[in-house]
Amino acid sequence: MQGCASRRLRNGARSVLALEAESKQVFNLSQARVMLVDDTEIGLSILTQIVKGLGARNPVRCETLQQAQDAIAGDAIDLAIIDGFAGGGRGYELVRWIRTATQPPTCYMPILVTTGLARDEDVMRTRDSGGNIIIRKPISPATLLQRIVWVAKGGRQFLFAESYTGPDRRFRDRGPPSEGGRRKGEEGAIDLEGIE
Amino acid sequence: MSGPRFVTPELRLTKLIEEPGGLTVAEALANAAANLESIRPSCLAEITALLERAEAQFAEMGEAPDAAAVAELYGLVVGGIGGGEVSGTPGVDEALKSLSDLIDALRAGGAFDRAAVAVHLQAWRLLTITTPGEAARGEILSGLRAVVARYA
Repeated sequence: MQGCASRRLRNGARSVLALEAESKQVFNLSQARVMLVDDTEIGLSILTQIVKGLGARNPVRCETLQQAQDAIAGDAIDLAIIDGFAGGGRGYELVRWIRTATQPPTCYMPILVTTGLARDEDVMRTRDSGGNIIIRKPISPATLLQRIVWVAKGGRQFLFAESYTGPDRRFRDRGPPSEGGRRKGEEGAIDLEGIE
Repeated sequence: MSGPRFVTPELRLTKLIEEPGGLTVAEALANAAANLESIRPSCLAEITALLERAEAQFAEMGEAPDAAAVAELYGLVVGGIGGGEVSGTPGVDEALKSLSDLIDALRAGGAFDRAAVAVHLQAWRLLTITTPGEAARGEILSGLRAVVARYA
């Protein structure tokens, strides 16, 4: 599985993940507890197959926001991937609930928000609810992997304030996207850092 | 709350992702692609079922449907976005995005154009059932964009 040429993601290097098909860089999601929230069978199936392919074992599949809340209450979640439109647009409320109604370390969990819509409104709702990154559907495995590694990098401050709780939006580490593409509007993904 | 407070959390994911074992990027992307290929037939069945639900919903809507009926249709359309690519029906995702843009624009304008919605549903069916070639697909999607542009 790991040849001599394999490179593990370490410190500064881990923020830049080569996504070429032949890349030997190694990462490990096998022990990560990944929660997937999408109220459409097709969306949940696609997401499940991608994250399993990326090495996550037994992702927690949630078709409703209540199932997601129960899963969070019952187990430590390391990464959440939430469809913002789930529950008729209430996926964003779930993100806000995680940020404001759960205790550390749960409230710090990295949250990727998926959406079939590309409206500015959705970007702003993701930002304001406390999501780390918004990813547009259709989701490509390469984009999802890159964003997972990016949020896993950590180091970003977390803000508790009266009007907002979530990742510091002023954080401007201009890391991995410059390696393979654009940042805002990048192939399917929008990093919310720096969007004021 | 007394005032803004910053913390720098340590994420368990940060440690887990560097644990021994795991996959190379190449292996992971190949696995994910193979997994998606394996669900292509079921995705096609689901996108077709979604189309039929949307058509049925539309058939029940009159010239001036209420907000709940429009929201129901909108939910079906948005729910299908992303399924086109995996189900091997190129163009379906774009058609669904176009339809969601159209409904957004119609809602903003406080009107409902039944013909504009109908042509999108017909395009969705055409792209799903017949999978036209690239040139024909481009013409279909171009036509949809022109319809939406009338309201954007």
